[in-house]
Amino acid sequence: MKKSLALVSLLAVLAAGCGSGGSGGGSASNTLRFVGPEDPKTFQPVIDGFQAKNPGVKIAYTQVPFDQLNSTLQQRLAAKDDTIDVYTVDQPRVAALATRGFLVDLSDWKDRVEQAALPAQYDVNVHNGKLWSVPIWTSGQFLFYNRTLLKHAGVTSPPSDPAKRWTWEQTVEAGKKAQAKAGAQWALIPEQIEQYYQLQSLAESLGGGSGITGPSMLTPALTTDGWIKAMTWYRGLFADKLAPRGVGSFQTSPLFAEGKVAFFAGGPWDVGIFSAAKDLDWGVAPYPYFADGKQVTPTGSWSWGINPASENQELARKFLEYASLDPDGNLLTTKATTIIPSNRAAFQKYVPVLDALGGDKSKGVGAILTYDADHTAVARPTSVGYIQFEHIMTKTFADIRNGADAKTRLDQATQELKTAWAQLR
Amino acid sequence: MTSRQQHAEDRTAALAGHDTAGPRVRRRTAAGRVQEAHRHRRTQVGRPVLVSLAFLAPALAALLVLRLVPAAMAFASSLSHTSLVTGETSFVGLGNYATLFADPTFLQSVRVTLLFSLIVNPLQIAAALALAVLFTRRFAGVRFLRVLVILPIAVPPAVSAAIWSVAYRPDGLLNSVLSVLGIPPQPFLTSPGQAMWSLIVLLSWIGVGYWMMFLIAGLQDIPTSLYEAAAIDGASAWSRFWHVTLPLLRRPLAFVLVANTVSNFLVFAPVQMLTNGGPQGSTNVTMFDIFTRAYTVGDLSLAQAEVMLLVLLVLAVVIVQFRLLRGRD
Repeated sequence: MKKSLALVSLLAVLAAGCGSGGSGGGSASNTLRFVGPEDPKTFQPVIDGFQAKNPGVKIAYTQVPFDQLNSTLQQRLAAKDDTIDVYTVDQPRVAALATRGFLVDLSDWKDRVEQAALPAQYDVNVHNGKLWSVPIWTSGQFLFYNRTLLKHAGVTSPPSDPAKRWTWEQTVEAGKKAQAKAGAQWALIPEQIEQYYQLQSLAESLGGGSGITGPSMLTPALTTDGWIKAMTWYRGLFADKLAPRGVGSFQTSPLFAEGKVAFFAGGPWDVGIFSAAKDLDWGVAPYPYFADGKQVTPTGSWSWGINPASENQELARKFLEYASLDPDGNLLTTKATTIIPSNRAAFQKYVPVLDALGGDKSKGVGAILTYDADHTAVARPTSVGYIQFEHIMTKTFADIRNGADAKTRLDQATQELKTAWAQLR
Repeated sequence: MTSRQQHAEDRTAALAGHDTAGPRVRRRTAAGRVQEAHRHRRTQVGRPVLVSLAFLAPALAALLVLRLVPAAMAFASSLSHTSLVTGETSFVGLGNYATLFADPTFLQSVRVTLLFSLIVNPLQIAAALALAVLFTRRFAGVRFLRVLVILPIAVPPAVSAAIWSVAYRPDGLLNSVLSVLGIPPQPFLTSPGQAMWSLIVLLSWIGVGYWMMFLIAGLQDIPTSLYEAAAIDGASAWSRFWHVTLPLLRRPLAFVLVANTVSNFLVFAPVQMLTNGGPQGSTNVTMFDIFTRAYTVGDLSLAQAEVMLLVLLVLAVVIVQFRLLRGRD
C-alpha cells in the first residue's frame, strides 16, 4: 500500500509536470469562478453586490490558503485550467505572471485605472507598457503596542504623530523593559516574520536597497551594508529572545491578541482583529525606522487578474471593473476585513471608518496611513524574477531568524538567485 | 501395500531397468499431452496468446497511459527549456541535468536525501522488527500496546505533521516535558543540527507501526515446531532469533526494506509543513526540492530532470537491496 502510494505520488509529479489539461469548462456560463487566499467572508459583500447588480450571475469563490496559493495557481494556470476565471494577484508578481501568459492584457483600461486608483497603485499593475491586472487593495504598516504592559513597565507609549515616530532602537529598549518589569513574553514581533513584504523596509531604512537591481531587474544586490546591518539586527531580535523562533507568520497576531507581546508591527487588517479581542488594551503608532537611516514603510497588496484560459472573459471583466473601478464595489471588498481600498474615492470614504473601528484604541490610524502613503511607503520591486526572489528571501529570513550569520546567508542567497535567474533566459 | 511401499518398489524396479505400471502410465499420459499440444498449436496458432493479451489489455493499457507515457513525456520535457522571459521552449539536450549538477541547492538536497535514507531506513526497520518480536510474545496488555503502535497509521500524515509542529515549537509540549525532567529547552526544527532528527522521529512515529504489521504477519507464519526443535537442541534465545527467526523472515523483511526505502525517498508532506527544507537546507530532501522547482519557481523542465534523477537513484538503491537480499536457496 505504502509503496504503491509512494509510486502514485511520484507519478502525480510526472503527470502533473507534463501539463495535464484543464477539466470541465466548455462555453461561457453565468457562473464566474474566482480564486483567492482570503476567508470567503471577506469577499462575500462584493460578490453579493455584484450579483445584485447582475441578476442571474453567480460567483463561486474558492479559498486556497495563502501558503499554497502561489504554487496552486502556478500548477493550474500552467495547465491552462479553465475552471479559474478571476484570481487574486500579489502585486510584485504581475511581471512574472504576465510574462508566463497567465494574465489577460487589460491595456484598454489604462486611463481609467490610472484615474481611479491611488498614485502608487497604477504602476504596480503595468509591465512592458501594458496593464495586466487591476488594483483592489493597498496596505501600510503600523506599530501596535500593548498599553497594559507598557504601563506596568513604566514606559510612555509611542506617539501617534508620524513626524515623531519611534526608531527601532527605541522600540526594542522599551520592549526589553516590558519583558523585564511587566512580564511580557516577547518584546517586539514583526507580523510577517519571514516575509519580504515586511522585512524589505528594514534594509531600505538603512539604505540597503530592495535587493534587486540592474536594468532588467535581474541582478541581486543583497550584500550591501544596509542589508547586512539590517539582517544582523534582525538576527539579534531572535537570538536575544525579544521575538520567538519557530512561530509562523500567521501565528504572530494571536500572540499579541493574547496580551503576551509589548510591540507588534502589523497591518491595517490587524486593526479589525485587535478591535475584536476582548480584554486587550492596545494603541497604534507609526511604523518605526532605524536611528541612522531613513523612514520607510511597507506597502502594496493584491490586484485581481483574468486567466487567459477562462471561457468567461466578458463576465470576468465586468467583475473586475466593479471591484476596482467602481468605488462602491471596491469599498465592499473591505467591508468584512480591514484593509485599504486602492480606489481613490473608496479610500477617502474608508479612512474615517478605519479610524473609528477600535474606538480610542485605533485613533490616529487613518492619519498615519495617509501620511505614510504620501511620504514613506516603498513598494516591493517589480521584476520578472520576483517569484524566485521571494522564495529565496523567505528561506533566507527563516535561516537568519534561526541563527544563521547574516552576511554568510545573504552571500548564499545571492548565489541562489544567480542560479535561479539564469533559468529565466 | 501402502503407497510408500509401492513407491519404494517402483523406484527399485526403475533403477533395475524394469518398467512398472505406475511410471509407464504417467509417461504415456505426458507424451500424449505433448502430442495433443502440438496438434493444437498447428490448428489454432496464437489463440492462447491472443486470449491472454485480451485479459491483460486493461492492465497493459493502464500501465501505458498512467506510467509509461507520462514517464516518457517527463523525460522529453527534461530535455527542453522554456524561457520565463520570452515563453519560448527550446531543446537543450542534457542541459538541465548539467544545470542541476552545477547547482549547490540540488547537490545539497541529494546529500541530505542520502544521509536521511541511510539513517532512517535501518532505524525504522530495526524498530519495527524489535516491536514485532516483542508484540508476538504473550504478556498482559500486548494487544492493547500493539494497537497503540499501529494507531498513527489511521492519522493522515499531514495531521501528524501538524500535531508534531506544535509539539516541536520552542515553547511547545516537548520542551515543557524536557523542563520537567530538568533538561534545557531544545531548538528542534529551528536548528540545522536537530531538524532532520526531529523529522526522523516524526516519520518513525508514523511509519514504524505500519512496517511492524508486515513483520508480525511474517513472524506468525514461522512454525513453532522449529523453535521447539531449536530449544531441544539447547539454542539460546539469541541464536534462535539469529538462526530461525531471521532466515525465515527474509521475505517479509525484504518487502519492508524495499517499500520503506522507496517511501522514505519520497517523503514530502512533513517537510513542507514543518521545515520548508530548512534551516539552511538541512531538510531539503530531493522530493521537496522537485516540488519547489516545479510549483513554487515554476521551472517544470528542470523539475522533470530532477524527477528523472530521483527515479534513477531510487531504482539503483532498490536493485542493490534486491541483490543483497536474494536468497541462497
